[in-house]
Amino acid sequence: MSRVRPPKLFASFFKWYCRSALRETILGDLEEQFEDDLELYGKHKARRRFAWTVIRFFRPGIIKTFNKTQNSKASGMIKNDFKTTLRIIKKEKLYTGINVLGLTSGFSIALLILSYVYFEFSYEDYNPKANRMARITIDYLDGETLIDQDCESYHLLGPMMKEEFPEVEDYVRTYGMDDAVLRINEESFRANRVYAVDKNFFELFNYPLLKGNTQTALTKSLEMVLTESAAMKYFGTIDILGKTAWVSVIGGEMKVVGVIKDSPANTHLKFDLLFSYSTMQNTLDQRNSPWDSNDTYTYALLKQESQMTQFEESLDRLSTRLLEDETIKNERIIAQNIKDIHLHSHKSFEAEPNGSATIVFFLLGVALLVIVIAIVNYINLATAKSFDRAKEVGIRKVIGSSKAQLRSRFYIESVTINLISAGLALTVILLVQDTFKHIGGLPESFNPIHYPIFWAVFVSLILFSTFFAGSFPAFILSSFKPISVLKGKFSHSSKGTIMRKGLVVFQFAIAIFLLVQTLASSEQLEYMQEKDLGLNAEQVVVVSAPATENEIKKFESFRNELLSSNSFKAVAFSNTVPGLPTSTMGSTTGVKLVSGDDHNFNFYFYFMNRYFIPTMEFNLLAGENFKKNMAGRPVIVNEAAMKLWGIHDPADAIDKKLHFWNSDKTIIGVIENFHQTGVKTDHIPTIFMHSTGFGSYISVRVTPDNINQKLIELEEKYKSIFQSPFEFFFLDQKFDSHFRSERQFQTIFSILSSFALIITCLGLFGLASYTITKRKKEIGIRKVLGASVNQIITLLSKDFLLLIAIAGIISLPITYLIVRKWLDTYAYRIDISPWLFVIPAGFVLVVAFLTIFFRTFQVSHANPVLSLKDD
Amino acid sequence: MGRTNFLGEFEELILTMVLILDDNAYGNTVVKAIKEHQNREVNLSSVHITLYRLEEKGFLKSYMAGATQKRGGRKKRYFKATNSGVALLREMKTSRTNLWKLTPQLNFGA
Repeated sequence: MSRVRPPKLFASFFKWYCRSALRETILGDLEEQFEDDLELYGKHKARRRFAWTVIRFFRPGIIKTFNKTQNSKASGMIKNDFKTTLRIIKKEKLYTGINVLGLTSGFSIALLILSYVYFEFSYEDYNPKANRMARITIDYLDGETLIDQDCESYHLLGPMMKEEFPEVEDYVRTYGMDDAVLRINEESFRANRVYAVDKNFFELFNYPLLKGNTQTALTKSLEMVLTESAAMKYFGTIDILGKTAWVSVIGGEMKVVGVIKDSPANTHLKFDLLFSYSTMQNTLDQRNSPWDSNDTYTYALLKQESQMTQFEESLDRLSTRLLEDETIKNERIIAQNIKDIHLHSHKSFEAEPNGSATIVFFLLGVALLVIVIAIVNYINLATAKSFDRAKEVGIRKVIGSSKAQLRSRFYIESVTINLISAGLALTVILLVQDTFKHIGGLPESFNPIHYPIFWAVFVSLILFSTFFAGSFPAFILSSFKPISVLKGKFSHSSKGTIMRKGLVVFQFAIAIFLLVQTLASSEQLEYMQEKDLGLNAEQVVVVSAPATENEIKKFESFRNELLSSNSFKAVAFSNTVPGLPTSTMGSTTGVKLVSGDDHNFNFYFYFMNRYFIPTMEFNLLAGENFKKNMAGRPVIVNEAAMKLWGIHDPADAIDKKLHFWNSDKTIIGVIENFHQTGVKTDHIPTIFMHSTGFGSYISVRVTPDNINQKLIELEEKYKSIFQSPFEFFFLDQKFDSHFRSERQFQTIFSILSSFALIITCLGLFGLASYTITKRKKEIGIRKVLGASVNQIITLLSKDFLLLIAIAGIISLPITYLIVRKWLDTYAYRIDISPWLFVIPAGFVLVVAFLTIFFRTFQVSHANPVLSLKDD
Repeated sequence: MGRTNFLGEFEELILTMVLILDDNAYGNTVVKAIKEHQNREVNLSSVHITLYRLEEKGFLKSYMAGATQKRGGRKKRYFKATNSGVALLREMKTSRTNLWKLTPQLNFGA
């Protein structure tokens, strides 16, 4: 190991500022202290203390004299510029306030949103191999049409690729399992994210083991690796190598061979428990054919990043070959880079719901707009004020200021205001970052200010804003002709006025767009939350089913026990429930309607007992529910499935035969469409199969009122019959959780739009105040001549309101297009009504009027004598 | 100015430590000695600043020597008390003792 050195940055900082006469001995002392600290306190504290001491040394007496070589005249001038800037800031409190407030909000919003965007884009970045890794997924086809995409693939594909494709360096498979129950010393725990993985999982995904040996871990059957927090939860310690636990999905003891850090927040594949792949080999081998089910995530590591196309071509050839010898039917094998998964992949059976690139870019765009609005405010106010500064500029020019010097003056003003705002923005970010993380759904551990990119953006924002905000006033003001200005023959340039008006229109156009979009997304969210799901999700508690075969046999007695109480109305058993992701369901292609045409579709499956349909209160459109001891192989389908076979009347579907899984099935009932994963997505074609011994969830419909009491009762009864841990969720809450990303988007968007509107109005307020001050005398004369208060208010407001009207006319058509496009991403969406546009536009107009009214009201009531007596 | 003949509490402490350390007084040893004898954590930078101030006031003198591997081969700046430094300390001690004698002496005995 190399020697630990003091932090380089601070060492060079010290060398830079310290007097040369003192440098050597102090640096020696510092280093000696560092070495001592290293032994006493360890690496981190020693480095911290070094940094702190270097900062403490930064004081007069130690710091060398700078500026010896600089032009003292120039630095004196800059000093003077700062002084006058500070004077102006003090004198013009209103204008400074408006600018600082606007820029501060702009900076903080932009930085927070940018860090959110950065996080969303950082998925898989922790893994240096990510660029070379691809996930193998399956496309289901009906002829040439793509009907569904599945991100799970066949478990034979991995070994095949490595053997046949020269570009594949290695592969890793992860086989996702249902919840597992662990029993450790008579105590039971549930684990949710359980995968059986090939032994090179740690190498390919770059996860070092905290305990255990990466080379040997997960090489043998019945071995498992736990994450740190899983280990703490189940064992209370991470020193658990060699310990064993009984595991439900295996039905036996498994040995702990490693402990790993918790999976990073920015990976698409998060896990709690990893089994060796060979543990599952038995289950996989029991199948008739390895090509029957695709239920494994397969990842390939390419030798080089550039080989992605080559790899895709190889997969294409493989698909064609497998199709030709009829190993697979109606599907193709494709690949996607794992870095594209989080934002761009929305296939079935994703390991977790992924983010959306559209939303991320949308927010990024809006954050930039907010910043632009704030900068525009500065430009507008500064140029408006420039006429007051005209005399100052004139005198300075006469005395001998060059244009460059004048420009630097105005840049210094811009620098000062921007630096103050940036400092405030940092404070604001630190204050609100926890709230922001909560709203944005970011992990607790995410801390934007720890990333260098945050500071890079921070500095560039300041530079960008300083430059743009400073440039306009600097160039306009420095170009004034001193003689005419000093003579007082200075006329308001119409060019400047037009530019200012244009900028106001621009700001309000953006504000109107943001408000319309906010209203539309909130209406859409409300619509989705209230839409009929096709079942009654209220008052249903879903309990995780017990883990062992023996316990499952006791279902009937558990059901009778519950129904004997008044608290419970219905109890049913199923492999999944509505509201859970499709990854909990089975799916299959190759379902054929006997005597139908030869199309291929992907169908999803429910396995359930006969109580399930009444418990969920699905609407049976035709036929009947499953009954006890039914002959044949009855199935129930939903409308979406029926439509795929070209049947339109539910009654026609009854008694039709289906052929799949090597036998004929009879349709005995059709139920109304229901939403499996919330209203965002379309109804999925579903086939319900009857089963008495297979399931993961027990759904219990409880009677209303006093829900807590009933939960306690439910738990008591559960524990009196089963040994597995009791875990439950409310069905309606599960449905609600599908709107999580919508709600986040909605909240962030509302905040952004409010700020955009506030900043815009601040600017308007500043401009209006300025105009009114300029026209004080005119107003006085008008009043003397008999103008009424109303007339004066109209006179003063009319110009501004006209600008806002123009903003509306420009903004609304573009807004309409954007909102329509956005709504089109939803399967079920609100209709675009005129109110969606009229209300926000009207609101902006009213707010703007009130902003101006605040100023005009004062002036129109003022005594004309006050404004006229001076001349 | 009268200020040259006056020492602050911290300055007095540092000057005393330099006397105690005799031939081995430089930044790090002073910090350690204060920790050892007074159980007080002081920052290296405060010690340095004070040492330079005392040197400026003429109570200390310094010379450079004694580079070691641990310091990256850099020399140390050793400090020694000047005659006027020692005299001042002694004077301060005497005047304090004299003052103490003027306080009413309490007897906590039996």
